[in-house]
Amino acid sequence: MTEQKSTQNSSLRKPQADWRVQDWTGIVRFVRELGPTPRRLRPDSLAMIAMKAPGDIRILEIRSLRGPNRWAYMPVLEVLIDIGELEQYPSNKLPGFSDRLRNWLPGLIEHRCSYEERGGFLRRLEEGTWPGHILEHVSLELQTMAGLPSGYGRARETDTEGVYEVVVQAWHEEIARFAVIEGRELMMAAIEDRPYDIAETAATLRRMVDTLWLGPSTGCIVEAADYRGIPFIRLNEGNLVQLGYGSMQRRIWTAETTRTSAIAEGISRDKDLTKQLLAPVGIPVPEGEFVRSAAQAREAAEAIGYPVVVKPYDGNHGRGVFTNLLTGEEVEAAYTAALEQGSGVIVERFIQGYEHRLLVVAGKLVAAARGDLAFVTGDGIHSVQELIDTQLNENPSRSSNEDAPLNLVRLDTAARLELARQGLDADSVLSDGQRVLIQRNGNVAIDCTDEVHPSTADLVSLAARTVGLDIAGIDLVAQDICRPLAEQGGAVVEVNAGPGLLMHLRPAEGKARPVGQAIVDHLFPSGESGRIPIIGITGSHGTAEVSRLITHLMRSSGRRVGSATAHGLVADTRVVQSGPSADWDSAHKVLLNRSIELAVIENGARSIAQDGLAYDRCMVGVVTSLDTQALLPDLRIDTTKRLFGVLRTQVDVVLREGASILNADDPQVVEMAELSDGQVIFYGRDPSNTALIDHLGHGRRAVFARGRDIVLAIGREEAVLETLLDGVNVEAVLPAVAVAWSLGFTPELIRAGIASLDSVNRVARRARAQPALVESTL
Amino acid sequence: MDITRIRALRGPNLWSRHTALEAVVECSPSERDMTGLPGLESALRERFPDLGALPAASTEPVSLASVLARVALRLQIQAGCNVLFAGAIPTSQPGISRVVVEYTQEAVGRLALESAHALCESALANTPFNIDASLAQLQELDEEVRLGPSTGSIVHAAVARGIPYRRLTEGSLVQFGWGIHQRRIQAAEIDRTSAIAESIAQDKELSKKLLEAIGVPVPKGRAVTELDEAIEVMDSLGGPVVVKPRDGNQGKGVTVNVQTHAELEAAWNAAMLISDDIIVERYIPGDDYRLLVVDRKLIAAARRDPPLVIGDGQHTVRELVDIVNSDPRRGDGHATPLTRIRFDSIALARLESQGSSADSVPEKGRKVVLRNNANLSTGGTATDVTDDVHPEVAARAVEAAQMVGLDVCGVDIVCQTVTRPLEEQSGAIVEVNAAPGLRMHLAPSYGKPRPLGEAIIDSLYPGGEDGRIPTVAVTGTNGKTTTVRLIAHLLSQAGLQVGMTNTDGVFVNGKQTDSGDCSGPKSARSVLMHPDAEAAVFETARGGMLREGLGFDRCSVGVVTNVGLGDHIGMNFVESAEDVAAIKRVVIQNVAPDGVAVLNAADPLCAAMAEHCPGAVTFFAHSPEEPVLAAHRALGRRVVFVEGGDVVAAQRAREWRFPLTSIPLTRAGDLPFQVENVMAALAAVWALGMDWDAVRTGLASFVSDVATAPGRFNVFEWRGATIVADYGHNPDAIQALVDAVQALPAKRRSVVISGAGDRRDEDIRRQTEILGEAFDDAILYQDAAQRGRADGEVIALLRQGLSGANRTRRIDEIHGEFSAIDLALDRLESGDLCLILVDQVQEALDHIAKRIAPA
Repeated sequence: MTEQKSTQNSSLRKPQADWRVQDWTGIVRFVRELGPTPRRLRPDSLAMIAMKAPGDIRILEIRSLRGPNRWAYMPVLEVLIDIGELEQYPSNKLPGFSDRLRNWLPGLIEHRCSYEERGGFLRRLEEGTWPGHILEHVSLELQTMAGLPSGYGRARETDTEGVYEVVVQAWHEEIARFAVIEGRELMMAAIEDRPYDIAETAATLRRMVDTLWLGPSTGCIVEAADYRGIPFIRLNEGNLVQLGYGSMQRRIWTAETTRTSAIAEGISRDKDLTKQLLAPVGIPVPEGEFVRSAAQAREAAEAIGYPVVVKPYDGNHGRGVFTNLLTGEEVEAAYTAALEQGSGVIVERFIQGYEHRLLVVAGKLVAAARGDLAFVTGDGIHSVQELIDTQLNENPSRSSNEDAPLNLVRLDTAARLELARQGLDADSVLSDGQRVLIQRNGNVAIDCTDEVHPSTADLVSLAARTVGLDIAGIDLVAQDICRPLAEQGGAVVEVNAGPGLLMHLRPAEGKARPVGQAIVDHLFPSGESGRIPIIGITGSHGTAEVSRLITHLMRSSGRRVGSATAHGLVADTRVVQSGPSADWDSAHKVLLNRSIELAVIENGARSIAQDGLAYDRCMVGVVTSLDTQALLPDLRIDTTKRLFGVLRTQVDVVLREGASILNADDPQVVEMAELSDGQVIFYGRDPSNTALIDHLGHGRRAVFARGRDIVLAIGREEAVLETLLDGVNVEAVLPAVAVAWSLGFTPELIRAGIASLDSVNRVARRARAQPALVESTL
Repeated sequence: MDITRIRALRGPNLWSRHTALEAVVECSPSERDMTGLPGLESALRERFPDLGALPAASTEPVSLASVLARVALRLQIQAGCNVLFAGAIPTSQPGISRVVVEYTQEAVGRLALESAHALCESALANTPFNIDASLAQLQELDEEVRLGPSTGSIVHAAVARGIPYRRLTEGSLVQFGWGIHQRRIQAAEIDRTSAIAESIAQDKELSKKLLEAIGVPVPKGRAVTELDEAIEVMDSLGGPVVVKPRDGNQGKGVTVNVQTHAELEAAWNAAMLISDDIIVERYIPGDDYRLLVVDRKLIAAARRDPPLVIGDGQHTVRELVDIVNSDPRRGDGHATPLTRIRFDSIALARLESQGSSADSVPEKGRKVVLRNNANLSTGGTATDVTDDVHPEVAARAVEAAQMVGLDVCGVDIVCQTVTRPLEEQSGAIVEVNAAPGLRMHLAPSYGKPRPLGEAIIDSLYPGGEDGRIPTVAVTGTNGKTTTVRLIAHLLSQAGLQVGMTNTDGVFVNGKQTDSGDCSGPKSARSVLMHPDAEAAVFETARGGMLREGLGFDRCSVGVVTNVGLGDHIGMNFVESAEDVAAIKRVVIQNVAPDGVAVLNAADPLCAAMAEHCPGAVTFFAHSPEEPVLAAHRALGRRVVFVEGGDVVAAQRAREWRFPLTSIPLTRAGDLPFQVENVMAALAAVWALGMDWDAVRTGLASFVSDVATAPGRFNVFEWRGATIVADYGHNPDAIQALVDAVQALPAKRRSVVISGAGDRRDEDIRRQTEILGEAFDDAILYQDAAQRGRADGEVIALLRQGLSGANRTRRIDEIHGEFSAIDLALDRLESGDLCLILVDQVQEALDHIAKRIAPA
């Protein structure tokens, strides 16, 4: 029930997430680890040797954009393919192709595509569409089959005939990569009318999702955070996730949080100690005894009084737990079996009733589930085992899959004991209508949150508090959860740290409960977004100097500033990395840093085109210029329009409460104003610039230079902030002032910041010789 | 000499503030005076040469029991326990004494007493006794059960600051503070330490990745799963490497300075024994340092050197190791500052790799390292370097701890020197540890010990807090429960979540958490353990104090309602009212120095306790003229009394008045014993600085009826008659009831009474003597539980008490409580009054309620 929180499973033994295009070996190795290697995945098949007519789809390049990018807000893969002769064969010209595709991927019916309705894509397929577009849908569908949400995709021609850009959302880079490559395989098989083992691909993808993607508990917390606009960063390939950025971050690891005490977790693992702490504060617990031999177990059982429970001291997942034991023989047998599951054995009073799991988050009961008792009914023909298989295990909610609400019922030792007590075994044939209890400790998966008696809700909250856990799964046994515990002899039997949430998210019966939301609300009280102010700067020119001045101004506010710019990666007063650091990785490091209260991140056009942004949204976005000469043909950013598409990303991600700072002197940049969710502040050297005047005419804000004066203006109101000395770079000062202004810095503070700029310049000159000293001197 | 009963007094007790064992010891006539056993002392000294002085005879002869006490104490001292106090207190029964022996560890105390007994017996019988084995056993047990050095240092620091603590397990899990202020530690880990941070610290690769992100220098390299990969990494690093398991600890499976592929393979195999995930990273030459960070501050730093010997040109390596190990500071466990160097296969292999062997004779001055890691447990040494750490190095350690998320963190650094920044010398942080061992800083092999316990306690309790909640302990012969309930009620009026123990159960914030008689130390402790309790009020009965001592080390307020003639006399060696007072005084003796004792000035034994109180005293009495109270008041101290129909709290010129008419509990002052309870409660909450308006509201809203206070002056009106049910069961209580009942007008008065068989004859008789003066009819009953008395015995005593009665005319004897009640009710007429002294409280009250319920 608890998700594995295993450091061993985490990232770093796997190929790093940033392994580059063309490195096929990574995928091949991964697939080999996961299971039988499909013959078609040998590297030589990936070398795309031309196959039989009518052509081939060649994957030329796969680029991973890890954050907001020119296509979308979310991470995507940008795939460059060459369809060669297939250019002449839209889907309607490939006999049987559509049917085969539809057959293998029935989920394609859900793709709405161009017609904005169910079946839309299939209609396009019938009418004829090209392989790039199809690959987009196939890759997305494969990811959906693997259990990921449906996602964004696009396909676009390039200037080269037959070469397309296909963009698919990448929930996880490796999984998306596999889906693209396998999607191509599947399409080729469909085109060439070859058999294709879709089941195996789906299984591999599901295994990849199991190992690489978030588990359901962590997933629901992250989803809830996302819903609240709280960003997240995965810290390993397991379930360790950072919610929020910099100093505002919290961490979660499955259902444990930054606030989950290690000592409390240790206490919860020691059932005996837990009981010792709970009993004195008035929480009913089954009295019990630690025993060291089978004989002692029997003795203890007699002292406590039958029926008793025998269970391992430190076991888990209900393994080796024997309940409702009625005789000394049963106790002795159970002792031996329980000992195998733990380092010692406890005998305790058996509490009559149903098992329940109550989830407490921050002192509040947020969900409760009841256990499932498994019965079979005889027909005079079939054996117990057969009845289990047909009456219980064929239920679709039962599966060996960890995500299923109910496990398969197996005749384990406990179940055999239960049967033996009824004079039966696996092969016994039950008479017609005979109802037999097979399993007492079934999955706790039937929601009963609304039924819990308020006094019991108080008790479990106290139990969590007493153990010291912020999030606890409390196991209790009660005949009727609607009534107070004491009057029915119910008891708390266990307190679990890092409880599994699945039973509350996907109960076998009853309502799903918003447990992820409760956990996020616990970590981030309402009004908190986990965000620190991020200032992102892009443009064709001048961003380095602008970023440096902004960093300087921000630091003068006394906050711990992290900056990733062309001048280096600096955390507060310390140079983490000198030399150019205006890249995704450096920005990412700033966001990871728990001490950083404000981030200044410079993004070159190349960095956005190549990697995307390192943050999902930001408070302030600055665009300095768009130079039509500074295209990036090697990244296929070969037109002004495309460069615009790249740079606008910075404006796209500005938060509603944030601001875009745009250079009014650059007509292309001015055009970005309408893309900003937040307010727009123009800046410019020329007060007579029509865009600026027009902007002010709408009562908006601008910062401009008039002679050597820096003027702050809102509509028609103006204020001279400062008169600059010679030698100060006005071009860079203006946006820096605008940023500070947008963040609510007082004019005094901004002025003081500018006044100290001169020294910045001096230090900067010296710094060229000794970079490590720059920032610490500041 | 027989030991008939041993009790562990786990809190302040009749004898001392310290934990002690109390044994009832019976000496045969010859053993009652040591002068009659002339050879015994030398026989004892022969067996136990470090016995020390034996008690000297004074007016009383020295008995063997006194010797036993002394031996048991001395054995513990010799075994290294810090104990001071032991003695034998004679009882009124000849030859029987109570032997009291202080202990620090209960198990050790018990074993010492047992051994002392055996030693005395062997001296008497002239049989051999192995003192060395006995001491070794004690020492070993002590080492096993006492706190380890890390935990011990923290607990010690807490105790020095007056913070209470309690061990939760036999291991290192300790709880500090009470109620909502409780905090926990486990060794050097504190309750705030996040489980996630701990997991991150355990994953060396992940921690490295996070540290790298914030620019803390870490060694280059990465985790691998195949030897081929390891070779690849080593080659790419282009120099010597360290090979270590990804999730190991204590340096297990770690090989440093691996230079060749062959060495790599050997190192690989060693690491694989610990984990399948192996880290290969750049080897950084230099020394190992451990920096200890608590709450963003560097608290201690130590250089850790591997076990080594220095050649003298004469001795072989083996001999040199023996010489080093002969240092008395080197022991086998964690108890000594240094541990012996292990000369095992690992050491031999290390020697071989240096081209020498156990029998080589290293030249003078040459260092021969015997192990690659510097753990103290394998013979390494630690040298304190706290004062040498460069601020930049300290800053890196603090940043590392902060990034991983650990408040108490051991940061391992490898560098040439900590006096210069790491960046200047390519030093690096190689590991970050949760729950670091403190031994190397508390007791470094060389250099100054560092006050880590203090730092950790400061982190748990900043700003000098002591982790305590206000506690009121109430004792006395009568009125305890009502006083406790009233104090708790008043405190809850002030918005506090109050924990309360009394004879009806344990209640926290209005919710019952236990039932039955909860006036003992266990119940008090359960309140102090409750995470919601903001204040605590304890009924502190004699039984628990005698059995186990107090459930707390000291209280903010101690209240003694009265002693009177005493109760339970004749039980547990309590022979007189003075003895009763001595027991109740324990509460007053353990009032905090800044606390207050609330004492009944009109009760001489109670008033006399004032001089035993370490804190201040507030006296209360009905009359402001009461001499003790008046004197106290004249000195400008606090007093509470009744004047002009008001309860008055007064100090110097200030007075606060509470009209009795606005305190329903007192029935407008008609119930004198309730007025006393109100005065006691008022004085108690005054001591806690409660707001007077809240007190006023609380006094007005306090309800005491069958539901809230069963058996405490429950009044019923029925058929025009008045019925009072009460649990009073000693002469003082009966007197108080009679005083109260006298104030109620009645035509005919009847009383229903039984007697508790475990009281003295005179106490049972005395009860009816008092009643005989005030009641016309008496119905005597006896019930199933006669507490050791023969059939009819108690009734006979009750009858004796009535023999000279001035008022009582009619006496009935009835079997069974219910029948007695029925009889009394049947006879009631309008205007009558009936006092029913109930025994089975709840059952009897239910019965009365059923009888008088309208049909």
